[in-house]
Amino acid sequence: MDRTENNNKVMVDLSRVTMNYPPDVQALTDVSLQVDRGEILFLTGMSGAGKTTLLRLISGIEKPTKGYIEVDGQDLSKISRAGLQKLRRQTGVAYQNFKLLADRTVAQNIALSMEVAYRSGVFIRKQTRDLLAQLHLEDKHNTKTGKLSRGEQQRVAIARAVANKPTLILADEPTGNLDAETTKLVMDLFLRCKESGTTILIATHDRFIYDQPGNIIQLEQGSIIDGTLPADQEIPGRNES
Amino acid sequence: MNFLFAVLHQTSRNLLLTWRSQILSLMTITLSVLIFSFFYLVYTNALDAGKRLGDDLRLIVYLDEEPPPALQEQYRDKILKFDRVEKIEFVSSIQAYNKFKKQLGKDQDVLTDIPKDFLPPSLEVYPVRSLDSLSKIKRFSDYLQTFPGVLKVQYGREWVERFYSFIQLLRFVVILSGSLLVLITTFMMGHSIRLTLLTRQQEFKLLHLLGATSNYIRMPFFLEGALLGLFGSIAGMAALYMLFNWINLRFAGSAMLGMFTFNFFPLPIIAIIIGVAVVLCAGGSFSSTRKIFTL
Repeated sequence: MDRTENNNKVMVDLSRVTMNYPPDVQALTDVSLQVDRGEILFLTGMSGAGKTTLLRLISGIEKPTKGYIEVDGQDLSKISRAGLQKLRRQTGVAYQNFKLLADRTVAQNIALSMEVAYRSGVFIRKQTRDLLAQLHLEDKHNTKTGKLSRGEQQRVAIARAVANKPTLILADEPTGNLDAETTKLVMDLFLRCKESGTTILIATHDRFIYDQPGNIIQLEQGSIIDGTLPADQEIPGRNES
Repeated sequence: MNFLFAVLHQTSRNLLLTWRSQILSLMTITLSVLIFSFFYLVYTNALDAGKRLGDDLRLIVYLDEEPPPALQEQYRDKILKFDRVEKIEFVSSIQAYNKFKKQLGKDQDVLTDIPKDFLPPSLEVYPVRSLDSLSKIKRFSDYLQTFPGVLKVQYGREWVERFYSFIQLLRFVVILSGSLLVLITTFMMGHSIRLTLLTRQQEFKLLHLLGATSNYIRMPFFLEGALLGLFGSIAGMAALYMLFNWINLRFAGSAMLGMFTFNFFPLPIIAIIIGVAVVLCAGGSFSSTRKIFTL
């Protein structure tokens, strides 16, 4: 497989990435990883293992201390401001702390990711209604997100991440506040996105989640300990819940 | 959703979110435009009045003797070197006598037995009727005084000087109110936008994370400033027009307004004032949004 063909196949490419935070916290050490287009990859590991840092580096929020990151064929260390803005519009991120605007309604929060991409009003309204129906939040359309429960807020954050039909979804503990039934709703939504070709990286502790079809990477103290495991491979803790 | 629609959508949302402070900004802009344009209107009308001064802007140069044609030509050349004039007239002693006699009308018999050359010959200089000439008239008078054979130079000195001082004062007030307009529109808009930015920091950070372009975030503020400038200045001009009509009605026929015609601004001036207010407000807003990218 030549380099160009490989670039077309790979959505996220990390090579020997190290991330240090001052004064002496080593969040990631020499992490190398490739995620193919249309793949679901679960990042597992204890708290502080480096899952969130990895997602922040891939979304371009932070720059690595060392190493090379390429997303959708673009080297993040050389990407222009306009290039990064475009990449972000094509990437849906569900943050661990949701990053919702508490004084805006659920529909307005979901619409944000589509508005910045200049989607039509008709598309925005339809997509918002569809997503709210899929996540059982139809009755919350006009509710301000500040008045929602944590679980509901989490679903709104996920809806916003997938609303603009991104080519890459990064989800940081997307089911941390959800019950089993709602977790299944969220996973069904992610799987539908995958079917339409979206690459999905999910950082999670939730054993139910990484029991789903997809590859798994286990992080420990900032390093990958098992490489990429196929979905049917047994890893410690899997299927124990 | 195209860019323009997105910007309009964002702008209307911003205006709705901060409508209270927008009303305050609008009122301040209206008031500033009203103050500035009121003094500017008085100033331009005073300038027009200055241009219609007529004979009051005449310098009479009394000479000790009738100048021969060569000297008259020399006087003319020297005067034209100093400034533009509407006309220069030489009045001989006899012409002055006849003029005086005509002015006396039925009392002209008082001139019986008085020699016809008892009045000195003179040179009457009519400067171009403008404020510029008004300001130069004293210097003009001093200059004429240096001519050979000049006895005295006379003009409506007191009136001209008072009028000139009034115009100078008006000019100062116009500059002051103009500066007030500039300061208020740019600084106030800037500060109001900065406050908005501070209260909505979280939102702008999120928009950056979602991939919003700089223009997507900044343009609504630019448009917001432009709209405030537009409506504020239109309201200010409308208020001035009402004030103008009220003054015309209230003081119609009074001695003060009888002296000169009080006219409203022509359309191009109105357009320029509104345009400047729009540019200042939009510029003030837009420059403040640079802060967004350092948040």
